Amino acid sequence: MTEPVLEVRNLQLSFGALRATDGVSLTLCPGEIHALIGPNGAGKSTLIGLIAGTLKPDAGQVRLAGRDVTAADAAVRARAGLARSFQVSAVAADLTVLQNAVLAVQGARGQSFGFFRPALADAALRGAAEAHIARVGLSDRRTIPAGDLAHGERRRLELAMALALAPRAFVLDEPMAGMGPDGAREMTALLDDLRHEAPILLVEHDMDAVFALADRVSVLVSGRIIASGTVAEIRTDPEVRRAYLGEEMLE
Amino acid sequence: MRREAILNAAIAIALLAVPLAAQAMGEPFVITLATKVAILALAGVGLNIALGLGGMVSLGHAAFFGIGGYAMAVLAAPVQAYEPLMTWPVEVAGTKSMPIIWLAATLAGGLAALAIGALSLRTSGVYFIMITLAFGQMLYYFAISWPAYGGEDGLSIYVRNGFPGLNTLEPLQFFALCYGVLMVALLFSRVLARSRFGLALAGARQNPLRSAALGIRPYSVKLTAFVISGAITGLAGALFADLNRFVSPAMLSWQTSGEIMVFVILGGVARLFGPVAGAALFILLEHWLGGFSEYWKLFLGLALLGIVLFARGGLIGTIAGREVAHD
Ligand SMILES: Nc1ncnc2c1ncn2[C@@H]1O[C@H](COP(=O)(O)OP(=O)(O)OP(=O)(O)O)[C@@H](O)[C@H]1O
Ligand SMILES: [Mg+2]
Repeated sequence: MTEPVLEVRNLQLSFGALRATDGVSLTLCPGEIHALIGPNGAGKSTLIGLIAGTLKPDAGQVRLAGRDVTAADAAVRARAGLARSFQVSAVAADLTVLQNAVLAVQGARGQSFGFFRPALADAALRGAAEAHIARVGLSDRRTIPAGDLAHGERRRLELAMALALAPRAFVLDEPMAGMGPDGAREMTALLDDLRHEAPILLVEHDMDAVFALADRVSVLVSGRIIASGTVAEIRTDPEVRRAYLGEEMLE
Repeated sequence: MRREAILNAAIAIALLAVPLAAQAMGEPFVITLATKVAILALAGVGLNIALGLGGMVSLGHAAFFGIGGYAMAVLAAPVQAYEPLMTWPVEVAGTKSMPIIWLAATLAGGLAALAIGALSLRTSGVYFIMITLAFGQMLYYFAISWPAYGGEDGLSIYVRNGFPGLNTLEPLQFFALCYGVLMVALLFSRVLARSRFGLALAGARQNPLRSAALGIRPYSVKLTAFVISGAITGLAGALFADLNRFVSPAMLSWQTSGEIMVFVILGGVARLFGPVAGAALFILLEHWLGGFSEYWKLFLGLALLGIVLFARGGLIGTIAGREVAHD
């Protein structure tokens, strides 16, 4: 087996008495989409936060490209190529689509401390930003403030910003949340394309998308991974059926 | 041209025209008022970088304003006392030269902002407001108990400091200096807002989690902006002390912090000329309403309440409309 791009070992985090992450270990290997499913409150977003560095674990390790990044903060992990999206869209609402993308490019390159030249006048930054915007199909929305975008468009802008990091791994928290069936289909196609860029750890409630995209599925319940395997294995796992999947989803 | 740009130009021209007219009509007091507007606007331009661009609600900017004022006094007082500034480890003389004093005040304001910001920015929201206020008060009480510079009574610098090639005792010439500094600061502030740093600062203000996820530490970006902000307000403090030829702990008081914030809110938070419009309106109100009623600050308070509730862009926003996202 190839070396995993992302690996977490025995991660633990408690909020008071609540064990939100209770000894989670998982890997993300080159080229794969690894889906993480589980009921509400299972600890999926918490795990994403631990991987991205916005939360600090009580114990355990996060390794990115073979390097231990447990002590590194979110900005350092981002510059090392960890691209995350949030369950609730997170963009700079007053900045335009293009400005958001330029911000992502300059962030990834560590070029945010230029005080004089206008950011948008920098051809290299702007060119890269426009390419990422085009990739997600937002070119004609370039000058719109991100806060004025439709929900699905904002989701795609977040992916453009993730692409700007020249990612080694995507960590996406429910990218289809709140989307209609058309939006979800488009997003599924986009993610299928992105897997060639970098492997994806995909938290998602949309089972159609998960079963269409995932090479592997892990099931998180109460902060623990109770099952992990291929789509076919997970569909038929009795424990998973009981803990999470409604019978109607398995037909 | 955009409406706001026209409005800004009109304000800049008016602020220049008023003292010129006053000079022609022999009204030096009006020149002094205009100078005060320019200097207080400069302090507001500093705060606007923290508050408007960075979203840092600092109620402690009097600290930087006062430190700038005291930096002037520390350098200029030994000269009028015919003493050296210090004798150990090397003898250093004081100075009455504005360029050196400005540099010192800018550095002192920036350094103070670095220290205060480094601690305050570990908190946010109401805690940030309270902790900046607390640092300001700490310096205020320190100044009160500092006998070398007059303690509670403050210290007079009898002769205004000099600037090469100008006669700063001439009110119009001193005004021109202050106006020039204000214009440079405004230009810098505009350039900064559009730069890569300005973009990073906007990101850190609007969505710090997203900024971090893009590899930008919101803390570092905000702290840098806070330092720039404090440096500019420090420079304003040195000019203000020179205008009055006097420094006192009042410059460091929380009322001063509040007033600087009022300029920015009155004129329009994050609007380039907001602090200029705000300071001008404040001084005019103080002058007119102050003569008409002792309770003018009550009216000012009501006006502020109205602005915060109904006209979020302040004076500039009300006249020029919503800010247009450029490009
Ligand atoms: N900062 C916090 N402080 C205290 N408890 C928290 C915190 N964040 C999350 N929790 C709790 O931890 C548990 C896991 O939350 P988490 O958001 O990770 O779930 P999730 O699997 O992402 O759920 P969903 O599918 O609804 O997004 C929940 O019980 C939640 O209430
Ligand atoms: Mg979640």
